[in-house]
Amino acid sequence: MKYILFLILFITLFSACQTDNTEGEFVVGSDYLSISNKVLLIDTLTVNVSTINFDSLITSNQSRILIGNYTDPILGKVTSESYLKLTPDSYSIGSSDSDTQTVKYVFDSIAMILKYDRYYYGDTTKTQTITIHQLTQKVKPNTDDTNFYNISSLMYDSKSIGTKTFRPKPIGKDSINIQIDATFGKNLFNKLYNNEITDSNEFEDLFKGVVIKPSTINSSNVIGFNTSSVLRLYYKKANSDSKNSLTKDFTLSDLTKQFNNILLDRTGTIIQNLPDSKSKLPSELTNNNAFIQSGTGLACRIDFPFINQLKYISEKGIIVDAELIIKPNKTSITSLFPLKDSLEVYESDNLNRISRVLTNSDGSQKLALLNTTPDEFNENIGYKVNIGSFLHQEMLKTNGAKSTLILAFPNISKGVNRIVLGNQKNAENKLKLKIYYISY
Amino acid sequence: MKNKIWFILFFTVQSVGLYAQSVSTSPYSIYGLGSLFEANFGPISSIGSSGIALPSTTFINNRNPASLGYIGKNSFFFDTGLKGFQTTYTSKSTNEKRNNFQFSHIAIAFPLNSKSGISASLKPYSSASYVISDYQLTIGNSNEYYNLDAASYGGLNTFDLAYGYKIRKGITLGLTTSFYFGTITNNKNFTIANSETNINKKSYYSGMRVTLGNQIKIDSTFNIGLTMKIPSQITGSKTQSVSTVNDTETLYIEENVDSDVTDYYLPFEFGVGLSKSLFKKFNLTLDYEKSLWKNTNQSSVYGEYKNQDKYALGLSYVKKEQSYKYADKIHYYTGFNYDTGFLSINNKSVNNMRFSLGVGLPLEYTKSALNLNYSYGIKGRVGNDLIKENYHMIGINLSFEAIWFVKRKFE
Repeated sequence: MKYILFLILFITLFSACQTDNTEGEFVVGSDYLSISNKVLLIDTLTVNVSTINFDSLITSNQSRILIGNYTDPILGKVTSESYLKLTPDSYSIGSSDSDTQTVKYVFDSIAMILKYDRYYYGDTTKTQTITIHQLTQKVKPNTDDTNFYNISSLMYDSKSIGTKTFRPKPIGKDSINIQIDATFGKNLFNKLYNNEITDSNEFEDLFKGVVIKPSTINSSNVIGFNTSSVLRLYYKKANSDSKNSLTKDFTLSDLTKQFNNILLDRTGTIIQNLPDSKSKLPSELTNNNAFIQSGTGLACRIDFPFINQLKYISEKGIIVDAELIIKPNKTSITSLFPLKDSLEVYESDNLNRISRVLTNSDGSQKLALLNTTPDEFNENIGYKVNIGSFLHQEMLKTNGAKSTLILAFPNISKGVNRIVLGNQKNAENKLKLKIYYISY
Repeated sequence: MKNKIWFILFFTVQSVGLYAQSVSTSPYSIYGLGSLFEANFGPISSIGSSGIALPSTTFINNRNPASLGYIGKNSFFFDTGLKGFQTTYTSKSTNEKRNNFQFSHIAIAFPLNSKSGISASLKPYSSASYVISDYQLTIGNSNEYYNLDAASYGGLNTFDLAYGYKIRKGITLGLTTSFYFGTITNNKNFTIANSETNINKKSYYSGMRVTLGNQIKIDSTFNIGLTMKIPSQITGSKTQSVSTVNDTETLYIEENVDSDVTDYYLPFEFGVGLSKSLFKKFNLTLDYEKSLWKNTNQSSVYGEYKNQDKYALGLSYVKKEQSYKYADKIHYYTGFNYDTGFLSINNKSVNNMRFSLGVGLPLEYTKSALNLNYSYGIKGRVGNDLIKENYHMIGINLSFEAIWFVKRKFE
């Protein structure tokens, strides 16, 4: 019997003793593990880079009044003018009830106050001249559309009601004041003061809005102003010596009624033959460069024509990661045309129709980020984005509808920044794509 | 007594679930069915794994089913064991030491009548256990690296049913039916650039194999034995899940996708054994076995299959089998085993050489014994893609005999 007990003890011992040491590095023999799964780095896949032209960026409701012009040495002359509808908060002056009015008021002056929103591009040490014109057409989009685009424009009176030449101080100062024609101002004052205008329709018939344009004389910079900019009418009590003027503001109460018309004159430049918005201009035709310019609609398109060839590496495989590094052309970067720290990345079809914005795992928008690690020759400056998931999806596609990536600046509709990006054949600023692949 | 035996059986069944898994950390665990495990009953480990010609009179001899023809009419045997290894692995560049203990086997045998006996046993066949952490490997086509974490557990077990029959005085025949079964779970984690890919594989194996055996008693001191193992196939299937996480998303590439895995073929094997007792105190055993792995036409990632030769030599000594002095009844064993291995890596075979010593401590007045043994062995060699293993093995094994049926009459 005692042996039976001994047996039980023995069996119990087994479970206690069955140990496996999993400590240590366990390196001897590990090489065998690498055989069954191929892990590869592919950095020779052809990447086609081209420039495309979005012809309809929505520029209304962008909360920026963008005015100015500059001549880009590569892309041509950029001009931005801003259309805005200005409305008063009420259609009266002084007290709201003019019948009981005992104090008389008189017109003093009128000015456009443009408040800097700190955006600028180009050379702000040079002067800019702007002119303000009355619109002869209501600020109203075309039928069945609620937006205005970068190519939209409205008719205006060729005779300006205000002009100013100034040296922009977008960082140092808060605003600029443009004195407006007193005849125009007095008319506006009188109509309101005499209750000739009592509602928005009557007001719009009188004053449809303004366009603020850069003059063609200068071509130096583009400045952003915010939408708290106002047309301010100054008036005061009649027969009063008081210097304290009263004011009546005409504001941008409806931001959908403000837009910027941004044009690029490419005549004589390398991108003179940029095709329509459904096509692309290969970078091979433009010195192995592609271009992005906000506002005017230039964007960089990236095609991976042979991505589905990777399917044949092994029976089953995954692109687990891919790193795209696209480098700005070093010679194109100057203090006037600085780099932005990120690019937005969109997926689109062959006709440049954007289907989605690439996202990170937390749902946030995926950006190609500028590597700003300083080095002597700026070798490492480039925008990096991981596109493994996109390429994996593209590799597995069996039908012909390949997707492409489109790179553009954030706030593409409200700036005029530009960048020149190298393709795979650009020796100085070579695009790099590293694809990490594993078979399973 | 019978109740006690049922009690043991109950424990046997209980332990099946617990111990039916071998654990090993050999590098050879990585591929195929894992590293193969040799389970020996009774004192067989001590005598260099020889014993094709030994009868199952004092313990269950799993080397030859024909031995069961000699099982005592009233004997009931129970055999179980435990093994401990300390191994030093040496590759060209590095070496490391690993220890592990593991269950060896659990078996019972009893006579059906005076001419025949049967046995049932459960033992590990192979182990696919290993853990590899943070192993750095080169990415193909580049000088970049990726990291691999891998873990595997499980392996194959065999359940043997053996039958031995004495056809006439001095000649026995035997048959073993071995059932192979097991699951190997393998989990690999690849950290490549900014991504992490997980491949989880569960492989299920099953198969059956027949062994035929024969023992002939030439005279009272000399036995010969023959065994023949029929080639067979272990079929496998697997389910695999693959997922990858990168900065964009988690992609579930595959989820529990079934597929076949390469079947594993066991070769035709035959063995010859001799057993000669000398001066009544010594017994010499000598076995030769050949396994025709080459004919299985299978390939291995780490080498070619080749035919395998195994030589086993054993010597045992006991002063007096029946004595009132305990010390006289202690068995002393020694043995040597040489095995050419069945794999050839870079035209070099992975041979295995082992020297063993052991004692059998008798228990009570039955044939029960506690066997202790120690072996030192060298497997493989150092070279390109080759690993040398130097191992110390300690085995503890209980061969328990109960006198069944008859004793009950006296109770």
